[in-house]
Amino acid sequence: MKRTRGGGDEEAPRQNGSVGRKKGDPQQSEADDGGSTLGPADLQDDDNDPGLRREIRSKYRDLINSVQQNREDMLSPSNNKLTEVLEEANKLFKDVRQAREAALDAQLLVVATDLGKEKASQLFAEGTAFDHIAFAERLLSFMGLNRLEDGEDDQQNRGGIDGYLPKDAWHRVARRAESCFMTAPAFHYMMGSFHAEPPPPKQKIERQRKAPSKEAARIMPTQLKKMEGSHQEATEKEVERILGYLKSYYQDDPTSPISYYEFVIDPNSFSRTVENIFHTSFLIRDGLARMYLDDDKLPCIAPVEEGEVEAGGSWSRKQCIISISPKIWRELIDAFDIRDTLIQPQNTQTE
Amino acid sequence: MTQRKRLSNSHSSSQSKRQSGNLVSQEEDDDSTFTQPSTLQVQRGLEKLTTAQVDQKTAEVVQYFLVKDQKKIPVRRADLVKHVVKDYRNIYPEIIKRAARVFDQVFGLKLVEIDAKNHMYILINKLEKVDGASPIKSPANPKMGLLFVILGVIFMKGGVVRENLIWNTLKKLRVDSGEKHEEFGDVKKVITDEFVRQRYLEYVRIPHTEPIEHEFRWGQRADMEVSKAKILEFMGELHEQDPQSWTQQYKEAHSVPGSTQAGTSSQR
Repeated sequence: MKRTRGGGDEEAPRQNGSVGRKKGDPQQSEADDGGSTLGPADLQDDDNDPGLRREIRSKYRDLINSVQQNREDMLSPSNNKLTEVLEEANKLFKDVRQAREAALDAQLLVVATDLGKEKASQLFAEGTAFDHIAFAERLLSFMGLNRLEDGEDDQQNRGGIDGYLPKDAWHRVARRAESCFMTAPAFHYMMGSFHAEPPPPKQKIERQRKAPSKEAARIMPTQLKKMEGSHQEATEKEVERILGYLKSYYQDDPTSPISYYEFVIDPNSFSRTVENIFHTSFLIRDGLARMYLDDDKLPCIAPVEEGEVEAGGSWSRKQCIISISPKIWRELIDAFDIRDTLIQPQNTQTE
Repeated sequence: MTQRKRLSNSHSSSQSKRQSGNLVSQEEDDDSTFTQPSTLQVQRGLEKLTTAQVDQKTAEVVQYFLVKDQKKIPVRRADLVKHVVKDYRNIYPEIIKRAARVFDQVFGLKLVEIDAKNHMYILINKLEKVDGASPIKSPANPKMGLLFVILGVIFMKGGVVRENLIWNTLKKLRVDSGEKHEEFGDVKKVITDEFVRQRYLEYVRIPHTEPIEHEFRWGQRADMEVSKAKILEFMGELHEQDPQSWTQQYKEAHSVPGSTQAGTSSQR
C-alpha cells in the first residue's frame, strides 16, 4: 500500500527525526512499496511469532485510538500530527503479515482519511477565508446597530455586543438582499377582493323614495289611511295591546297561572294565533312578561311586576324557538278545550 | 424526510377514497403511474379539442400556479394533474408548454422544473431588477434578510455547513433558535421547516453523529432563484473587499452556468 503524506508540508521530515526520512530517499520508497529489507531467514520467524503479531496489532489500535480521541487536536492546521500518525502506520505496515493486522491497517486508514477530508475542507476556508463571526458583526453595523447606547439597554441584550438594534434592522437587510433574489412576486388581486359595501344600497333607497313623491300629492288621501297601518307601528301597538290583556287577566286572578297556549291560541283563526305568538315573543324579549313551566310541565305566562323589570339584569337569558302547524293548533284546541280567544282581534285589519 | 412522508400520506388517503371509483381514477392519484404522453398522443388529443378549450385549461393551470406560488411552495405535477388538468392529461405537455409561454410573455415569469425526478415546479422572476427606485414600493419581507444570511454563509463556506455554524452566526445577530424572535417567531421552524419546504434550503442529517447533527445546503429553489454573484457583491460591500479577493467563491459564482442562471452582477 502506497502512502501519501497528508497536509502537503515540507517540515515533516525535519520534525520526525527518529527515522531520518528525507525526500526522495531511495531506501524509504522501497519500504513504502510494501517490501521488506529483512532477509529471508528473519521472515520465517516474524511470520509465526505470536508476540510480534500481538504487538503490531496493539500498536495499530493505539494509533486508531489516538486519532479518534485527539480529533480536535489533529484537525488544527497548526500541527502535523495527522501526518505523523500516517508515518507511524507506514512503519508498522512493514511488519504486517496476516490479514488481521491488515484489517486494522485499513481501519486506521479510514479514520485518518476522514480526518484528512475535514482538514482539507478547512484548507478551502483558509485559502478564501470567510469568518462568519466577523460577517455577523459587519452585518450588525449594516443593520444600524447603535453601539453607543448602553447602560439601561444592557439588560435587554444578552451578552456579546452592547448596543441597540433598531426595529427595522431585518427590513434593511431584506431590502438590500432583495436584489440577490429573482423571486416571482406573489400574486394578489390589485384592487383587493370583492366584498359588499353598505353605502351604495342606501343611495338607491333614497332615490326610490324621491321618485314617488310626485305622485304622492294625488294619492295622499288614500295613502293616509294606510299609513296608520305601517308595519313598525302596528307591531308595537299590538304588543302593547297584548300586554294590556295579559295584565288584566293576571290581575283578575293573580294566583291562577295563565296557560300560554290558552293565551295565544285563537280557535277561530290559525293565522291570528301565529300573530299572537309573534307579538307575545316581544313581551318576553323585552322582559315585560315571563314564561315558566307549571307543575304539569305546561308553559305559563305572566306579566313581570313593575320593579322586577331589569333588562337582562338578574334574569338568566334563555332562548327557545316555538313552532306551530295547523295540525298542532287543532290538537291544542282540542286538548285544552279552547272555545274562545283571550286576545281579541283588532277591528281594523291591516295588510 | 418529512416532505416525502407527507406526499405518501396524501397518496394513500386519496387512493383509499377512490376505492369505489373506477380503476382509472385510482391510478390518476399516483404520480408514478402518470406517464408523459408521447408527441403523437398529444397531437391526437389536440385534434379532438377546440382552441378555446385548450386555452381555457391553460388559463386554469396558470391561475393555479399563481395562487400556489404565493406561499412559495413548489407545485407537484401530481397535484396539477389531479386538480386542474384532469381529463386533459393526454395533452399535458402541450398545456405546460402554453402555460410557460403565458408566464413568460404576460407575467415575465419563468416556469421551472426544479426536481426532474419528483416533478416539481416553481415560478421565478425573469426580469432583471432595475437599480434604483422600483415603481412598486412594497415593503421588503424580513425573512428574505434571514435567508440571505444563511445562504450567504453557506455559499462563502463552500456549499455545506454544519448546522451549529448557522445557529452561532444567527445568535450573534440576536436571533436565537431556542427563543421566540420578535420578527420571525419560531426561528428553528422557519428555517428547518418553512425554508426547506420552499426548497430554499436543504437540511440533511449527518450520518453517524451522536447527538444528531444536520448540515445545511442550498435548496433547489435557491439554485434557480438566487444569484451567487450578487451575494458575493453584497459580501464585498459589507467587508469592504473586492469580491474577487474570494477567489474560490468568485470562480463558482461566475463560471458555473447553474449558479448564474439567476442573473449577472455588474463587474467591478
